[in-house]
Amino acid sequence: MVDPVLVARHLRRELPGDPPPVLVADADLAVMPGRFTAIVGPSGCGKSSLLYLLGLIDRPTGGELLFDGRDLAQMSGDERAAIRLEHFGFVFQFHFLLPEFTALENVMLPLRRLGRLSAREVEARATSLLADVGLAEKGWKLPEKLSGGERQRVAIARALANNPRLVLGDEPTGNLDSVNSARVVDMFRALAHEQGRAVVCVTHDMGIADLADIRVSMLDGRVIEVREQNPPS
Amino acid sequence: MFARFSLLVHIASRHLIVRRRQTLVATSGVAVGVGFFLAVSALMVGSQNDFVRQLIDVAPHIIISDELRSPPPQPGIAAYPGGAVELHGYRIRNEVRGLKDWQRILASVNAIPGAIGSPSLSGAVTLRLGGRDEPLAIVGIEPGLEAKVSSISDKLRAGHLDDLERVQGGVIIGEELAQRLGRGMGDIVPATAANGTTRSLRIVALVKKGNSQLGSSSGYMLLREAQSLLGRPFIINRIGVKLSDPYAAQSVAAGLEARYRYKAQSWQERSADFLSLLLTRNVIMYTVVSAILLVASFGIYTAVSNSVADKRRDIAILRSMGFSQGDLQLVFVLEGMALAIIGIVLGWALGFGLMTILGSLEFSIGGEIQHMPLDRSPRQYAIAAAASLAAGVLAAWLPARKASRVDPVDILRGAV
Repeated sequence: MVDPVLVARHLRRELPGDPPPVLVADADLAVMPGRFTAIVGPSGCGKSSLLYLLGLIDRPTGGELLFDGRDLAQMSGDERAAIRLEHFGFVFQFHFLLPEFTALENVMLPLRRLGRLSAREVEARATSLLADVGLAEKGWKLPEKLSGGERQRVAIARALANNPRLVLGDEPTGNLDSVNSARVVDMFRALAHEQGRAVVCVTHDMGIADLADIRVSMLDGRVIEVREQNPPS
Repeated sequence: MFARFSLLVHIASRHLIVRRRQTLVATSGVAVGVGFFLAVSALMVGSQNDFVRQLIDVAPHIIISDELRSPPPQPGIAAYPGGAVELHGYRIRNEVRGLKDWQRILASVNAIPGAIGSPSLSGAVTLRLGGRDEPLAIVGIEPGLEAKVSSISDKLRAGHLDDLERVQGGVIIGEELAQRLGRGMGDIVPATAANGTTRSLRIVALVKKGNSQLGSSSGYMLLREAQSLLGRPFIINRIGVKLSDPYAAQSVAAGLEARYRYKAQSWQERSADFLSLLLTRNVIMYTVVSAILLVASFGIYTAVSNSVADKRRDIAILRSMGFSQGDLQLVFVLEGMALAIIGIVLGWALGFGLMTILGSLEFSIGGEIQHMPLDRSPRQYAIAAAASLAAGVLAAWLPARKASRVDPVDILRGAV
């Protein structure tokens, strides 16, 4: 049995107010390496909120979030940022590349921030990451000169820069046509199945949810069902 | 650490390059501030130095005179300090005027490194000519020593200080007085002292007009001739001291006064009113120029805070990527710093140009061509740079703090 990358226990997120609006209510979830997990549910069910909690972008107001057995909820902002940098990779619905930087420079950002590689190695790694997403020739382009699908692939390359153990997607295909969308989903599945990463994707696209290994359904901030669709062989 | 820093500098510089117009406005604000700071402070400091130099040079740095700041204590009080009897209204014993034991004082003045003392005797005589009486404050000097201590020899229109030695009964008086008396170089004027002694004096040199301190009613004689005219042989009542470091005058004077009890007045004490005026002037100047620099820093504040507002999305992306709050804050502080530094360098150039223009202006004062006194010391450049940089960093720090507090969730959720 493999240990989960991330474990959420009674994870809770409330907004300030009286009574406090609840975004995520007592979510229990284990994020497994090598599995593609999809979080589905109607709009406003709290699936993105849960993803932000899992991705350490937002802080829970209750419950535990264990990464390597350490409770992330208790960590300082800087420690959480360091974990995000080294172990987590994000892909959002909108590409979210820095507009002033070329595709290659965008991919280099997390590598340079982590600072483990020399300048030459950083560039080599970023170039090979772009090649992996089929954009070897377009690294020098600014994001505005790329198509939507290309931008999203640059964003994926950037998310993978520091070789993260966990890849999080917030509707990563939400803004793409069906061809590009299928391509991105294939990439995400490959990340899990071939590279052994834990992949968690929020989506409202049931086609994608059907392709996932684990399907987490949410309603009104609650996790109502966790279904294994593709048991590990 | 360095990699992180260079990355943040890279991000900051991209932001500035993209926002060229804002960058230009903010940097030119700083540049104008720094430039005018340099020009104004060069003028103010330059003219102040010029003024202080004149204050220092017009008379010896320290003047020891035969006065006491407070009367000597009564024997009774000296014997019973804090006694039950208090004395009021007693008559102060008049000592014979003149510095007692002045050779010893002079010797100890000359023993101070870089100090030269010049003894002199001053007293009043009357020049009597054609039924006119002109009062004259006569100063008996040793020309060789006095020339080293005061700048009197530079202020002579004709003749030399040394001529006092060469001519029997030689006197130096002011041009105005000579004109009033209708006398010129080489002419004889009779002088009468208070004790009735009369001598004929020969004018050997004239002091230029426009030296208010030397005035129209003072004159110089040889020390021993003055002593004989005033009927006070071997007596002097003043020692002028010149120091190699004029700014040590206060402490040296205090030391001399503590030792010999005679009043030793430094030039600072003598010109305390002027110096306090200069202080006020400096306060005014620095207030005004700091205001210029402060206003310049508003430009940086606006630029950085617009940049923060524009880049909220980028801030959220970088945060989600694993950049810390400190990173984001530093990016925007660096933007402010970069604006300040570019502005400072441009401002230095502007200030240098302004100073060159000011320095090339010529004025005619009293028939002599003069230039504006400018202080071009690197100190002004450093002060301007340090002040603008500090103001710039502070101005950037406020919006930068806001940048670090941007909640990525809000942005990522409502992203467009």
